[in-house]
Amino acid sequence: MTWLGAVPALPGEHGAAHVDSLLLAAFDGVAADFVCTHVDRVGPVAVTTVSARVDGEVDLARLARALGGPVALLDDSDTPEARAARAGRDLADGRCVRFPGQSALTGTHTAAEVVAVSAIDRVVGIGVAVTPTDRVETLGFVRPVCRDGEVLLLVEPAVGGVLRPAEAESPHQCCGGH
Amino acid sequence: MSHHHHDHTHEHAHEEVEGSWRDAQDDRPLSVARRRFLAGLGAAGVATTLGALPAHAHGDRPGTPVNPWGGRARWFAGDHHIHTKYSSDGQYEVAQQVAKAREHGLDWVVITDHGGVAHEKFSIGQVAPDIEQARKAHRDVLVYQGLEWNIPGAEHATVFLPPGRSTVDILRAFEAAYDGGVLSTPVAGGGKGLITRSTSADGEPYALAALRFLEAQVLSGRTEIALMFANHPSRRGVDSPHEFRGWRDAAPGVAVGMEGAPGHQAAGIPAANGGRGAARGLYDASPNQDSFPGFAPTATENPYRTYGGFDWMTAKVGGLWDSLLAEGRPWWVTATSDAHRVHLDTHKPGAGDHNTTGSKGAPIDTGVPQVEGDYWPGFYSSTLVGADSKSYMDVMRGMQGGKVVAVHGRLVDGLHLRVRSLGEGDNRGVTIGGRTFVRRGHDVEVAIEVDLARGANFAGVVPRPAKVDLIAGRVTGPAVDRDAFAAPGTKVVKSFEVARTARGTVRFTHTFRRVEEAFYLRLRGSDGNRLTSDGHPVMDVIGDADPWSDLWFYANPVFVDVI
Repeated sequence: MTWLGAVPALPGEHGAAHVDSLLLAAFDGVAADFVCTHVDRVGPVAVTTVSARVDGEVDLARLARALGGPVALLDDSDTPEARAARAGRDLADGRCVRFPGQSALTGTHTAAEVVAVSAIDRVVGIGVAVTPTDRVETLGFVRPVCRDGEVLLLVEPAVGGVLRPAEAESPHQCCGGH
Repeated sequence: MSHHHHDHTHEHAHEEVEGSWRDAQDDRPLSVARRRFLAGLGAAGVATTLGALPAHAHGDRPGTPVNPWGGRARWFAGDHHIHTKYSSDGQYEVAQQVAKAREHGLDWVVITDHGGVAHEKFSIGQVAPDIEQARKAHRDVLVYQGLEWNIPGAEHATVFLPPGRSTVDILRAFEAAYDGGVLSTPVAGGGKGLITRSTSADGEPYALAALRFLEAQVLSGRTEIALMFANHPSRRGVDSPHEFRGWRDAAPGVAVGMEGAPGHQAAGIPAANGGRGAARGLYDASPNQDSFPGFAPTATENPYRTYGGFDWMTAKVGGLWDSLLAEGRPWWVTATSDAHRVHLDTHKPGAGDHNTTGSKGAPIDTGVPQVEGDYWPGFYSSTLVGADSKSYMDVMRGMQGGKVVAVHGRLVDGLHLRVRSLGEGDNRGVTIGGRTFVRRGHDVEVAIEVDLARGANFAGVVPRPAKVDLIAGRVTGPAVDRDAFAAPGTKVVKSFEVARTARGTVRFTHTFRRVEEAFYLRLRGSDGNRLTSDGHPVMDVIGDADPWSDLWFYANPVFVDVI
């Protein structure tokens, strides 16, 4: 297994979930169990990059065509794609679009179950303590974040006495997204 | 935008702006003289060199009171953030919005449709006569023409001017040259194609140039005043701390504040209660690539949510707003409706093609109440402005000078604050938004009068503050780190309880004894229904936020110099 990084060409204005689905479509046929997005702030304008943990042979040229931008396997280069690959490997930052166990987290689960069945290390309540029996209503959309080597699911109180992931699938888009 | 480094502060190459002092075709003598003068000087030096800072924009010289106490001020309620059918996501006629604002007790309103290619091309010319018409129809309401500017590199902002011969020309030139939507739209789409995204960091220099352009319009006499308030500043986390400081410093007479509370306050009403079940303020976002990295949800807070209906930057004591105030510089907060589509109103947008006509056309009355997220102007959110008279200039001067209280649900009808030296210094004292001074080691008295609501709010309830917090912090001078967003020394120094039986006006005083260093103070109040254990507002829960049972007001600060 290794990590790769990429700088995809992305539509500007359609929301993160839409972008996620485009990214995952590009990874069709690639054995990738982690796919994360990162923000590369080295240049004058921030760029969204992607990392993925892949297994076996990957047709990098095909993947680059599908993503519409450069793809590179993990190395020490000072490029956005290489920085993304390293950030993915280190779980240093970014958000997980795909992660091990994600497919098991489509309904309402206890915090203990979330951690037990997936790569999520901790369920972190925003402003509230989370006990193992607290219920997390995923609404079929779970985007944990990586912070300093850990995979965290940030949740907040929601209607009905449950917790919900802080990142929603369809946040309000104002005025066409300007 | 997100960048920590500060290589964007240079003046970018100016385009010629039609109708401005930069317009070489404008041969009026004043304009020529100004142009020559400003061109030689460089716009960055304009404000201080001309000595043209308004009295309200606090200078560095202590000993000159600003906003001197003059007895109980008159408050004029208004709303600087209102949309019409000239926004692609709006629907109402200007006349409808103004009539509703008047019905709900507002004295002044600003019409702020979204900037962008279609608005600049098609909408401005249509909205101006509609506004004229509304002024004639409602002579007791001040109707300002404004714009909801896509700040290049950041969020939206209200920009507005008083009525004048050049008002429309200035707004049009401003939007064409500096709107983030126009700048980021490719040339093929009718825009300029000069920046990557409306919110990307390469837009930041344009924002500074835009504000200097407005200040230059004031300096050149083309308008008497122009103001900018940053709207829903935390919603997407794209207003970085250094951007606020940059705007403020680029044009201190123009860029004067932000929405302390965003609009869309009905959006959090539970679906089970017939509401939209969304986030209060429609604050449901997460960080994106253009968000400031320091604005991150953590175990303790989520900057992307409202707290008691107010924006996190304002609601957090010792947070971003306080970090700006701790510099000893003005930055004011307001409350607006951001009314696009009103909850339980029966209209839906017309079928007009906004892209090609700049208008949605007349709204369609379905006869059926629609589930939406907004309230009418004045229905829930009010920006109270202290002014000598209800005139276009006086209200704007009041806003520029920070005589402003942001109120939800008629929690208070007025607030009178007098801060003065009890020893040597300014014994007359100053009021909200002001600046006073005291001899080192002497006492400062804070006298607070709260006018309780004399009648019911639009939920049919006579609201009552349960407490008033006096918040204060040291003035520590210009921030070394322009991206700082904390003022750890700012605290609630005292909470005054309002008696349940109180009527009319309630009075509190507090004395700061033996004052040794410059500080500022401000007030906020709550109905007491939703408080953390230490008395702060609670993060609003998405889909479960009844705005009427969580009312707050926030008053703007007073600065106290020590001599």
